[in-house]
Amino acid sequence: MTSQLLLKAATVYKDAPSPVVPSVAEIIVGLIAFSILFILLKVKAVPAFEKAYAARTAAIEGGIEKAEFAQKEAEAALAAYTAQLSEARAEAQAIREEARVQGSAIIEDLRSKAQEEANRITTAARASIEAERQQAVASLRHEVGSLATELASKIVGEALDDQVRQSGIVDRFLADLEKSEK
Amino acid sequence: MAGGTPDDGAFWTITSYLIAGLGFWGGCGFAADHFLKTGYWTLIGLLLGMGTGFYLIWIRFIRDDLNKPDPRLKK
Amino acid sequence: MAQPGFVPPSSSDFFYNPSFGSSIVATKPVMLLLFSVIIITAFFTLSARKSAVVPSRLQFAGEAVYGFVRNGIGQDVIGEEFQRFTPFLFAIFTFILTNNLFGVVPFMQFPTMSHIGFPVSITIFVYIVYHWVAIKKKGLGRYLKEMCFMPGVPKPIYIILAPVEFLTYFAVRPLTLAMRLFGNMFAGHLLLLLFTLGGEYMLKSAAFVKAFAVLSFGLAIGLSFFEMGIEALQAYIFTLLAALYIAGALADEH
Repeated sequence: MTSQLLLKAATVYKDAPSPVVPSVAEIIVGLIAFSILFILLKVKAVPAFEKAYAARTAAIEGGIEKAEFAQKEAEAALAAYTAQLSEARAEAQAIREEARVQGSAIIEDLRSKAQEEANRITTAARASIEAERQQAVASLRHEVGSLATELASKIVGEALDDQVRQSGIVDRFLADLEKSEK
Repeated sequence: MAGGTPDDGAFWTITSYLIAGLGFWGGCGFAADHFLKTGYWTLIGLLLGMGTGFYLIWIRFIRDDLNKPDPRLKK
Repeated sequence: MAQPGFVPPSSSDFFYNPSFGSSIVATKPVMLLLFSVIIITAFFTLSARKSAVVPSRLQFAGEAVYGFVRNGIGQDVIGEEFQRFTPFLFAIFTFILTNNLFGVVPFMQFPTMSHIGFPVSITIFVYIVYHWVAIKKKGLGRYLKEMCFMPGVPKPIYIILAPVEFLTYFAVRPLTLAMRLFGNMFAGHLLLLLFTLGGEYMLKSAAFVKAFAVLSFGLAIGLSFFEMGIEALQAYIFTLLAALYIAGALADEH
């Protein structure tokens, strides 16, 4: 069976050309074709690809630089902002403190002023009341004196008039009266 | 077809050495048998060739690889 | 198993007669290859035209591919001097990727790199570049000395090691580089052909076999997606190894 197959194969392939013997014409064609391809690629394709490579590398590096710059800028801005913020905060704190101090001072001032005013008014009122009282007392005393004198003179006679007045009898009487009242 | 890694380089270097070793020394043995009308030189030549192939492979990939990596092996 | 009458796909399916005339330039793979040069250049020129800082969708797509090769392969593997080699690696990656992906693009459906001549031609460039870089940097004598005589080995052993190292640098590397790309694309395309042609054949057969045709086509579609991954991966590995060889040529030690 196997030998029959081999025999058959041998007859089938007897006329087949050997595939491992190269054809000189094909080698020459291959050499020419490859040379042409090599030159064309070297001149047309490779430099352009290399250019794109270089451009891309440059672009990427440039991008990185740009990003770094932006980052630095952002960091600087952040730092400035933070500084400003803390400054503003401190300022606000100071203002608030000052306001508080000022506020309490004002309140204190107002209070003392009001107190003073009140005192002043009270004192003035008291003084005027006193003065009026004095006046009233003085005028009352005078009137009572004259009334009593008048009365007494009407009773006793007019002669007594000047004498009594000069001797201060009435006054003494009134003082005695006040003393006994107290 | 033996994998698609750069180790193909090593694979084909090894194959080349074995083919060269067997081919050269086996051929010498065959020629000796032919001219001397003997029958054992071919075998001796083949064995020598195989030994040579393995020796060269050993030098290239094991001995030298420890001291200085063969440039053909580097990734 | 193949029934009588079914012709399985073979390497002859990879060889096309010229579409017109008799020149090899008129065959499908060569036309696809030249077409790839046009669309790669057009795409990346358009995408890079504006080189704006904020990319359009087209520019973004172009830059993604360019950045992948420039940073993911060039810078990581070669290190300091990578900029000199970026156009070279970029051309390798886009060239292989586009031509590989032709394998699953409808109506094209042929991975150009499954014709070994094309991987060989790219490999020739890589080969010249990494040797040239090393010789220019170290001089031929020092380059060969460092290549064949790694330090720290007993002197007699060099007789055994030196030819193997030499062969590795001058024969095995370019061979594996070209063969790997070619082999992956060839095998992948053969697999897709098998399921597609098989499905087609079964469709012409008896009714109950037709059911399997659906399975076969389904597998072909699934494998197309798998192939897409392989195609991208192979473009990456080829570029990576080119970068590794250049890095090795620039390296001072060893």
